Amino acid sequence: MATIAEPQRTAPQQPTYHEITRDVVATLGRPSRTYFVLLAVVLVVLALGAFALLWQIRWGLGVAGYTPPVLWGVYITTFVFWVGIAHSGTLISAILYLFRSAWRTSVYRTAEVMTVFAVLTAGLFPLIHVGRIWYAYWLFPYPNQRQLWVNFKSPLLWDVFAVSTYLTVSTLFLIVGLVPDVAAVREKATGWRRKLYEVTSLGWRGTDQQWRHYIRAYLYLAALATPLVLSVHSVVSWDFAMSIVPGWHATIFAPYFVAGAIYSGVAMVVTLLVPLRKVFKVERYITVDHFENLSKLLLLTGLIVGYAYAVEYFIAWYSGNPFEQASFYNRAFGEYWWATWTMIICNGFLPLLLFFRKVRRSIPALFVLSLFVNLGMWFERFVIIVVSLSFEYEPYAMGHYTPTWVEWSILAGSFAWFFLWFLLFAKNFPMVSITEVKEIIPMPRKARPGT
Amino acid sequence: MANGDGMNRRRFLKVLGAAGGGAAALSGCSGDATDKLIPYLVPPDNQIPGIATWYASTCRECPAGCGVHARVREGRVVKVEGNPESPVNRGRLCARGLASLQGLYNPDRIRGPMAKGASGEFEPISWDDAIARITERLQGATGDLIRFVTGNEAGTFDRLVTEWLRALGAADPVVYEPFGYEALRHASRQVFGVDQLPRYDFGAARYVISFGADFLETWLSPVEHARGFAEGHGYRDGSMGRYVHVEPRMSMTGMSADEWIAPRPGSEALLALGMAHVIVTERLVPRQPDTFRVEQLLDAHAPADVAERTGIAAATIERLAREFVAEPSVAAAGGVGAQHEQAHVTAAAVNVLNYVAGNIGRTVLYGADLNPAGPSSYAELGSLVRAMRNGGVGVLFVHGVNPAHAAPAGTDFAGAMERVGFSVSFSRFWDETAMHADLVLPDHDPLEQWNDFEPRAGAYALQQPVMQPVFDTRQSGDVLLAVARQAGGTIAARFTAETYKDYLQQGWQRLQRQLGDFRPFDAFWTEALQRGGVWRDAPARAVRLARTVTDLQEPATRSAPLDALTLIAYPSSALYDGRGANRPWLQELPDPVTKMTWSTWVEIHPETAAARGIREGDILEVTTSAGTVEAPAYLYPGLRRDVIAMPLGQGHTAFGRYAEGRGANVYALLSTDVTDFGGFSHYAASTLRHTGRHEYLAKTEGKSRQMGRGIAQAVTLAALQHGEHGEEHGGHAAPVPEHVEQLLDEVQEAQDADTRYGDYAGDLPRWALAVDLSKCTGCSACVTACHSENNIPTVGPDLVRRGREMAWIRIERYFEGGEDGEPLEARVLPMMCQQCGHAPCEPVCPVFAAYSTPDGLNGQVYNRCVGTRYCSNNCPYKVRYFNWFDHQNPADPAFSFPDPLHWLLNPDVTVRSKGVMEKCTFCVQRIRGKQHEAKLAGRELEDGEILTACQQTCPSDAIVFGDLNDPSSRVHQLSRDERGYSVLGDLNTRPGVTYLRKVRNLTVDEA
Amino acid sequence: MNKTHPGGILAAYQHVDAAAAAIKALKAKGYRDVTVYTPVPNVEIAQAVGHKVSPVRLWTLLGGLLGCASGFALTLWMSYDWPLVVGGKPVGSVIPYVVIAFELTILFGAGATILGLLFHSWRTRQAGAYDGRFTDDQIGIFVACPVERRPAVEELLRHSGAVEVRVET
Repeated sequence: MATIAEPQRTAPQQPTYHEITRDVVATLGRPSRTYFVLLAVVLVVLALGAFALLWQIRWGLGVAGYTPPVLWGVYITTFVFWVGIAHSGTLISAILYLFRSAWRTSVYRTAEVMTVFAVLTAGLFPLIHVGRIWYAYWLFPYPNQRQLWVNFKSPLLWDVFAVSTYLTVSTLFLIVGLVPDVAAVREKATGWRRKLYEVTSLGWRGTDQQWRHYIRAYLYLAALATPLVLSVHSVVSWDFAMSIVPGWHATIFAPYFVAGAIYSGVAMVVTLLVPLRKVFKVERYITVDHFENLSKLLLLTGLIVGYAYAVEYFIAWYSGNPFEQASFYNRAFGEYWWATWTMIICNGFLPLLLFFRKVRRSIPALFVLSLFVNLGMWFERFVIIVVSLSFEYEPYAMGHYTPTWVEWSILAGSFAWFFLWFLLFAKNFPMVSITEVKEIIPMPRKARPGT
Repeated sequence: MANGDGMNRRRFLKVLGAAGGGAAALSGCSGDATDKLIPYLVPPDNQIPGIATWYASTCRECPAGCGVHARVREGRVVKVEGNPESPVNRGRLCARGLASLQGLYNPDRIRGPMAKGASGEFEPISWDDAIARITERLQGATGDLIRFVTGNEAGTFDRLVTEWLRALGAADPVVYEPFGYEALRHASRQVFGVDQLPRYDFGAARYVISFGADFLETWLSPVEHARGFAEGHGYRDGSMGRYVHVEPRMSMTGMSADEWIAPRPGSEALLALGMAHVIVTERLVPRQPDTFRVEQLLDAHAPADVAERTGIAAATIERLAREFVAEPSVAAAGGVGAQHEQAHVTAAAVNVLNYVAGNIGRTVLYGADLNPAGPSSYAELGSLVRAMRNGGVGVLFVHGVNPAHAAPAGTDFAGAMERVGFSVSFSRFWDETAMHADLVLPDHDPLEQWNDFEPRAGAYALQQPVMQPVFDTRQSGDVLLAVARQAGGTIAARFTAETYKDYLQQGWQRLQRQLGDFRPFDAFWTEALQRGGVWRDAPARAVRLARTVTDLQEPATRSAPLDALTLIAYPSSALYDGRGANRPWLQELPDPVTKMTWSTWVEIHPETAAARGIREGDILEVTTSAGTVEAPAYLYPGLRRDVIAMPLGQGHTAFGRYAEGRGANVYALLSTDVTDFGGFSHYAASTLRHTGRHEYLAKTEGKSRQMGRGIAQAVTLAALQHGEHGEEHGGHAAPVPEHVEQLLDEVQEAQDADTRYGDYAGDLPRWALAVDLSKCTGCSACVTACHSENNIPTVGPDLVRRGREMAWIRIERYFEGGEDGEPLEARVLPMMCQQCGHAPCEPVCPVFAAYSTPDGLNGQVYNRCVGTRYCSNNCPYKVRYFNWFDHQNPADPAFSFPDPLHWLLNPDVTVRSKGVMEKCTFCVQRIRGKQHEAKLAGRELEDGEILTACQQTCPSDAIVFGDLNDPSSRVHQLSRDERGYSVLGDLNTRPGVTYLRKVRNLTVDEA
Repeated sequence: MNKTHPGGILAAYQHVDAAAAAIKALKAKGYRDVTVYTPVPNVEIAQAVGHKVSPVRLWTLLGGLLGCASGFALTLWMSYDWPLVVGGKPVGSVIPYVVIAFELTILFGAGATILGLLFHSWRTRQAGAYDGRFTDDQIGIFVACPVERRPAVEELLRHSGAVEVRVET
């Protein structure tokens, strides 16, 4: 049986099932003006990004700042960034599910939604970055008249499979978890919304048979998603680790990237939850305890990431490989020192503040911190990708890369794209799982025990 | 680009038809356009679509006069290569020669006769009208008012002009060359009493000392010199020559030197005399008969006396003297070293040095005189300009030279032209001179015209039209004859020739008789055409010291303000005196020394710069007595600290889209004062001012030091002779343990077994290159050859700044030493795709666009490429090039081949669209071509039959291509040479390119 | 909802133990066609209803195996269908193909699980009367039974502590 309730430390008197349904359904009420303002802003930025992309397609990748030997830049950096973001969702919804940790119930929906839309965003970047986007479909092994297949030895192809699998599975996972909630909302809804929910709840009524299969299916989905989430970012890290570029070619990359991914993902969850619980007035369900748990997760992964940084430098020195050594010296003291130190301070040092309970339980502090971590993690990818490439084997061929307005616009556009989906979803589907929040609260029993 | 006189389909077909027809006879094309619209209605002989026809002709980009073979496909020239039969270049060609194609197809060529109207604007006119106008003008002018300026035309055209002028009762033409070797001729006259330029046999010399002569770049006959130098100096079984370069600046030629000596600017003569002194007083060689004539002079120049004034230790001077006579040697003065106030003294002193060392007649050959006619001096141009200003010139003709740009700006030839009644330019381009002419009658391009050239006494090189003229131009010779005919009377009577071709043939009939050849003329003519000319050895001529040698007065020490830096204005090795500036290939060709493109720069020593707070890219204002120009600073350790250097050739105010308004005109810094030898000085005292502005340099180089990575490796001769052929400086990664090696090999074998599959089974060739770094001079001819062969676009300065140049082969230049007292060493290394056995680029491509061909190339399928660029990230050599823009699309602003430049595209090689990766494949089209030839002939390929474009043109024969699996092949042997190594071999990429370490012939006290 | 359900008695419960007891009682009386609605999955109810473990897990297993197999098959067949050598590596290199096989294992496994869920929920669908409260905070029990037995059932349910009992026709 799914989650056995454990006593909630806070919540003096627990909400009743009815209150839960009521409060969550309330979040789907008529959107405020600010909501539409936000939506407008998002659309404008998205339009800018789209224009930049069309501009790039029309004239060629040259309009971006690429400077050989740096042939991957902001796009791949941002791709890895979003894939990373996508990881905490599945972690919280699947791994913590298997670990039976009750606190996940009220935050996992937000995390999962974030996951799906983050992958959706990440998925755009391989397309944006290729030279001939109109032929990007050649990366799929479809039968063509020349029987020419794809090269399964290429890490990029592993990516194609990993990311598309991840998108599919996490989407299924989200939908499955959503069905009973939609059914619950359905009963309160009217008009077109009701029709929408009737369709999307797939005729859910919560019968004993439905629950019987549902519980199993959910359990196995979680069991599958767990190794998947670990594999996806490992595969992404192999895009780099499989190459011979000094600064990329390292066996630590898979765990290093996975930790980093969860780290950035949790940070993003915090960034999203803080405003969300205010706007949706669900403080009762998403409590400071939840944030403390999240920040513990943040601290743990942050420490792993910091350790990974240290190991990278240690190995560079210990390997005795002059190319590796030069590459890392260049990272810390070369033309891009500022990027490297941004990353080290944001990801390595700031999270140490989380050792203090005060910080862990101060929501404003966490919010600010999470922003820094997001920034730091973007720069981590920038440093790994750009700085390593700018300082490879051939001294004659070394170069310096600076992005142009096109890259910045598309980067901004990607955030707009993400928030567009997030905003639309938040107003139409419960961002707090009705069912699972109920689950951790024991059902009312008759006053006298037994009989 | 599709304006009226563009190359529309109809005209193209005409040309096609005509060239086809013309090609039927080896005599090439007839001048007049054919009216056939459909080509090949009657298929002409030896003109099969898809099969190239080759025509022999002569390169006229510089006075060296190399023979060329023009490769013609369907009536268009698509490439020029060296003519193996020409004794000058023996089948090789320099970058400028290869770029002559971009002169022919230059989009800014003048497309028909133009006349300046009342408005001052040029308007097109008809040829008849043009000729009528000239005749009319000439009738209005008396002989003394008619003047003619030509470039260095040693041959029939020169004769025609002279004869024509004489017919008009006018003075002989002024033959102007900015680098006119006046000093050398002056010195020959003074020392040997002969008015000649000797030939220097670098091949026969084992010891070369150059006093500023950039004999591998622009001086006299670079390609010939490079070949000779490679023979004489290149390492061969245990020994090699030694080369000492004496110049305040280390030029590209200087980079090949084993020792670079930087004397005080202008004091080279003293060094030469000092050496001569040692040789004579210590009787190091048998005394030459006339040595007594110079004894007095030499007595005054003991090493001790000159040491201080030259800034070179006496001991060094003595050492040089001993080395100089130890083996067959040659000393040469030239380049900008022979272009300063004291250059004639330098040249004379060097002659004396050669004489006392007994080199005259051995390595310095009089008799086989280099371009015998020879240019007249700058002084003569000066007096002409004065005449023009005083209205002493009624009608002026200018042909094949651009004095309005390529002369000290103060000369103001353009200004003087305004004072001339009527000036006619025969220029092919809208250059500065043409812009100021009243009438512009565009000449044919050398590849379109009948002509000949005499590179040296005894060598008669022919030019023939290799294709139909691209535009409505007309050969200047024909114009002159037409004018004469129209003038009628005695003038017409002097010319029996109908066309210039007839005139040329008349000359060659005389030549045939001279040469004692009594075959029918047609046989003689046809053979000459096919071979590109007639080659005879002129008898050597013994010379003795002339009496005049005694009044060889010693150089006055330069007087300059204390803080002044001596400016050296040197000829750009690509743009020469500026005539190459409208060729995008040459503009984008990285300067061999600085790796700069598309611009002018100020070379300054890092320490001097530091002392003045100048960083690279700071825009400096350089001021001399003559003028002021601005250019960005380039920190170059190969300079004396009291010297700055700037390349000539840029700063055009006209001359087409590629030249106009680029860089600065360094001629503006040169004084118009005529030197004692009649030339002008390329040295000037200058002052610097930091404008406070800054720009990113358009250079193709990332870092100039190799950080001990052993990319370009070298070894000393001494070490080699002691059997150590490892690299000179500390190696890179630690050695791999034995057992690991073994393990790797086993894994390797297992893998190879699994790769022998399908087409990959069976024994196929493994194409490979060997590059001998002891021969490579860094001249970069291979780079331009590659552009020409493989349709590589030029991207322009802005993209070069972003590191987006496309050249598939690049010359990497690294500096060693040069800090805290140790001598500066420059190393060059041609870097092209290494065609790795374990190519890191291939497995990362998701779509198999990069893959191993069964014959060992790293193939690249352009139309399969999606553009993930992972291959380039993973290439340790960085030899893959991405199409950032649509350089092949006429509708795109980045279009690199504006009409009719796209005519030079090689039909055997595809053009690449935006978003795909491209790279060197060892000219796979040439490989397949030869394979097919062999197959059709039913024979095996021979080693050396396939030549890659870079190898084909390499003047010093440093590149060798062949099949590694064929044990008898040259490349196979070289790959096992003791000096052989693979760049970054530790990465186990198993490259197909083997580099042979550069060998440095250091003297005992250096090594 | 669809009104095509057989007639019967629908009871709503506030308390889980009451509902569970009622279910047990019904079973004891031999009522088979009982549908229980709960807002959340609940142990007591499940035990009372006493279903066997869902067969969905078999789908997951088979899907996973199929994915793994097709992963290797796809990569190896495509490699040899047009053999191209890259970087001197074997044409069919199993090691890198493990990644593909793994991803397909997950993909097919997840896909099959969903199909299994849909299929079995459809096969064991229960067409009983329904009330919106059952997804909110109440437990519903629907007993399909012919008219003559309804009073007895209604009686049983009322006494087991239903907050509301309704006859559905």
